Amino acid sequence: MSSIELKKVVKRYGAVDVVHGIDLEIAEGEFVVLLGPSGCGKTTTLRMIAGLEDVSDGELSIGNQVVNAVAPKDRGVAMVFQNYALYPHMTVRQNMEFALRPLRLARSETDRRINETAVLLGLDELLARRPSQLSGGQRQRVAMARALVRTPDVFLFDEPLSNLDAKLRTQVRLEIGKLHKRLGTTIVYVTHDQVEAMTLADKIVIMQDGHIEQTGSPQEVYTRPRNRFVATFIGSPAMNIVPATISDGKLVGDHVSVEIPERFKKRVQAGQKVEFGIRPTEISLLDGAEQATATARVEVTEYLGDEALLDLRIGSQELIAEVPANQCPAEDAEVRLRFNPEALHIFDAETGMSLENQAR
Amino acid sequence: MNRPNRRQAVLVYLLLAVVLIVFLTPIYIIASSSVKPTPIMFQKPPAMVFTPTFEHYTQLFATRPFAKFMLNSLIAALGSTVFSLTFGSLAAYAISRIRHKRMNDVAFWILSMRMFPPIAVVVPYYIIFKASGLLDTPLALIIIYSTANIPLTVWLMKGFFDEVPRALEEAAAIDGYGLLQIFWYVTLPLAAPGLAVSAVFCFIFSWNEFIFALMLTGSNAQTVTVAVMSFWSSDAVQWGRIMAGSFIILIPGVIFVLTCQRWLVRGLTMGSVK
Ligand SMILES: Nc1ncnc2c1ncn2[C@@H]1O[C@H](COP(=O)(O)OP(=O)(O)O)[C@@H](O)[C@H]1O
Ligand SMILES: [Mg+2]
Repeated sequence: MSSIELKKVVKRYGAVDVVHGIDLEIAEGEFVVLLGPSGCGKTTTLRMIAGLEDVSDGELSIGNQVVNAVAPKDRGVAMVFQNYALYPHMTVRQNMEFALRPLRLARSETDRRINETAVLLGLDELLARRPSQLSGGQRQRVAMARALVRTPDVFLFDEPLSNLDAKLRTQVRLEIGKLHKRLGTTIVYVTHDQVEAMTLADKIVIMQDGHIEQTGSPQEVYTRPRNRFVATFIGSPAMNIVPATISDGKLVGDHVSVEIPERFKKRVQAGQKVEFGIRPTEISLLDGAEQATATARVEVTEYLGDEALLDLRIGSQELIAEVPANQCPAEDAEVRLRFNPEALHIFDAETGMSLENQAR
Repeated sequence: MNRPNRRQAVLVYLLLAVVLIVFLTPIYIIASSSVKPTPIMFQKPPAMVFTPTFEHYTQLFATRPFAKFMLNSLIAALGSTVFSLTFGSLAAYAISRIRHKRMNDVAFWILSMRMFPPIAVVVPYYIIFKASGLLDTPLALIIIYSTANIPLTVWLMKGFFDEVPRALEEAAAIDGYGLLQIFWYVTLPLAAPGLAVSAVFCFIFSWNEFIFALMLTGSNAQTVTVAVMSFWSSDAVQWGRIMAGSFIILIPGVIFVLTCQRWLVRGLTMGSVK
């Protein structure tokens, strides 16, 4: 087990910076997920930790030792590649053996570890097979087994589930979670799938364009997004964003007007241009006489079983609401809405930063 | 089988027959002539039925140290093959993996060695080998043949190395292996078909080579190709021995190709990366 620390780490290809001086602390035994859209620099960051890419600038430490100039083999890391990278000319057993050989273990210890890992990952029947004789899911497990037998200090995963079908993905995701609980090894896990991130992570690192947008627990990034990017990236369907101006203690937008929640009152000024965010689940339909936040027309309804998604139009603004399926109105109906004020987010229109009191 | 398919099959077999006849006729002439008694060798039409004789073979080994010449050929060909595969694949690996904008120029420069007409450099080589005392030794031939074989090996192997996924080498690097170990345990085994192809080309080229062997060897390091042609002199051409020698020359090449064939398999990297 090792901690990892990145200080102002930069990755530059030629004249182009693809990772812009990121700072990140990963504690011993922590499960950290790097999450972000494709091309944001997750893989590059992971590969720098692995030692497969040079750090262009800044300092990278593993276990309190600066490793900028340390070869991959001396970093105590094991990696599961997105495409698995199994040695095709070796059997499953030989793949694991090959990973163990540099450790110079006794024959009996090598065998013990291989058999134990094979049983743990359900590969014991497949040890004599070549990678070409395995299914995608089995190959994925071999890749994990090969990393696991070495009992490294740090596990690195690069989108390990992206080549599996949906059902298998859920199953392996659970297995990875269990594995972490059992072994307690530090894990850095790269994915663009927010469900994987939310379910597995102790800490999510949300990246965009080579910057870290926010670091925090799944609850933190979901309930207290630091900016509009994180707010709309996390959660599905995405948070609704409505442009508004502060006026008379209210957020006034196109055909909407919302009371400013108490906690924001001191943080805004009259006339300020902002955007407020509301998650689809925090919009409810009113049937009584309560004061409505807005009136909307239902354009499309999508029935999902327990819930229904409503595509709503308020003036020029489109919103999505998620309501219990039994409350689902007819298409083209006029509905009255209430936005839960507790769940309201307000962002500065220019910087996109949340006006919420940030923990950090 | 339906009709058009059948017609196609017939056509294919006809074509194959023509190709086979073109390639096998010279071999048949060599093989049959090598066991024909001299008086009927050039009979027209060719004698199809005769009592085979092995006199040409016995004469071949009696009048020349032909076994020694075969050994010379074998040493030169195998030596150059091993030498070329070793250094050619190492060079090819570097060219395949080092990212540098001038790397293509280096690769092309290596290939350009191959474009030299051998006859143009025979005399300089003669002088060099004479001065260094290598004239009429197998080592001289190994060096000469390798100058032609290495460029070929580099180009062939570069193509095969390019096909080996980087991720495999990265996996091995993380697993704890150094550069040469990765090359030896991961990259090279996966480029084995390339090694086999290169070995065949190197061996056949060296085994068949004539001009350099003629000019740079004498009684000590003479190869079979030169030895066979030595039966062709201004006073007489001893066809029987030439045919017997030629037939013997054919055999090692065939054996070598058949040996290498089991490595000529495709899809070696299947299942490694999605
Ligand atoms: N070898 C390279 N040379 C130049 N640019 C690269 C190289 N590798 C990656 N990049 C760029 O760096 C950015 C981040 O890539 P990557 O880390 O693979 O993204 P992610 O894994 O988040 O999808 C991308 O814009 C990509 O084009
Ligand atoms: Mg990636």
